[in-house]
Amino acid sequence: MTPMNPNDEALRAALQRLPRRNAPEHLKRALAERWLEPRRFDLPRLARSVVSVAAGAALAATVLLGWRAHTASQGLFVEAVNDHLRVLYAEHPVEIESGGVHQVKPWFAGRVDFAPALGFGGDDDFPLQGGAVALFLDRKAAAFEFKRRLHPITLFVFRAEGLAFPSASRTIGSSQAALRTERGFHVLLWRRADLGYALVSDLDEQELAALAAKIAGPQAP
Amino acid sequence: MERSGPQPRSGLLVLVSRAVFDPAIGSTGDVCYGPEAVTRTRPASSSFRAEALAHADALFRLAYHLSGNQADAEDLVQEAYVRAFGAAAQYEPDSNLKAWLFRILRNLHIDLYRRARKNPVSGGLDGEEDVGAVASPELLRDDQELDRLRSVVAEDIEAALLSLSPDARSVVLLDLEGLTETELASVLGCPVGTVKSRLLRARQALRQRLKDYAR
Repeated sequence: MTPMNPNDEALRAALQRLPRRNAPEHLKRALAERWLEPRRFDLPRLARSVVSVAAGAALAATVLLGWRAHTASQGLFVEAVNDHLRVLYAEHPVEIESGGVHQVKPWFAGRVDFAPALGFGGDDDFPLQGGAVALFLDRKAAAFEFKRRLHPITLFVFRAEGLAFPSASRTIGSSQAALRTERGFHVLLWRRADLGYALVSDLDEQELAALAAKIAGPQAP
Repeated sequence: MERSGPQPRSGLLVLVSRAVFDPAIGSTGDVCYGPEAVTRTRPASSSFRAEALAHADALFRLAYHLSGNQADAEDLVQEAYVRAFGAAAQYEPDSNLKAWLFRILRNLHIDLYRRARKNPVSGGLDGEEDVGAVASPELLRDDQELDRLRSVVAEDIEAALLSLSPDARSVVLLDLEGLTETELASVLGCPVGTVKSRLLRARQALRQRLKDYAR
């Protein structure tokens, strides 16, 4: 600072009384926004809103799809029980009397659009009664009738394409199956290759599982 | 006889190259500096930008008193920062950043001032000319005049300041901001001796104006 005489000091004192013209806040803000690095994760409000809405929509879609998938998979149990009752109420529950699996399986040829894979043809514990063509949801199914004492047991074999199977809860032979009790009936559902299997009966759960294991075939060593 | 090795650059070439690359010089060329700095293209670091933006108030005060209105002052400050950050590599780390920014802003104002030609270029921008009617050094040397000076209200002080030429305003304001004579010389682009004489005459002119307001 330059040396000053008394008059200069008085002038300087007068100049100190100048209105304090600081930069307006909006100018400082504009400068900071333009030149200073944005804070990390400090997204603009609009971007945050968009992200929030998108996240909410994604969550809602996930919940909706999950709920629909859950509903659809649970519907397989209901459908299995309904179809089982339909078979029992039918005037002729079986259309082909069983003379063994090698007699029943060929019978379905031309009646359904798939070859029902069945490795178990019945035994003394679970004799095969016969077979019939049924409807499972929107598709034809091969219905096999077994029996355990006086308990009728129906096995539906159908194309699994496009169906949402419920999460498996137990191992049945070489397959993983889901079990649910619906209106007093136990239902076991599983899938193998492109075919679905639904085993339904009012039989004891353990015994039904034993039959399912025979149908599904032994677990791979 | 043929000369070998690098040829010395002419003064004009140096001046032109500095005017192109040095934002503190701008297009005015009213400089009295030594050897040119090496031009680098390093971008302004975030810490440099933050440090420079801390002087926004001081820059705005100078811009306001040079332009006379807030809108132009804001534009001046914005543009000054654009120039400053565009040429951050030319800033010497040990020098006064505030003075460097003042220099950029002042030269920017001169560019705009000359371009607009709202006022004649002569009579205020080049230093040795009119800084206002220079009062007699004896004018305020009595206590009565000093008392009158103390009674001037802030608005009148500002009006008196704005009535000075831009050059006179600059030197008074920069002195008020606490710059040394050397830094003033750097900002104004002239020798220290010229700064002293400009400052003396600017103060005299301002006292004369304030004398009128005090009556």
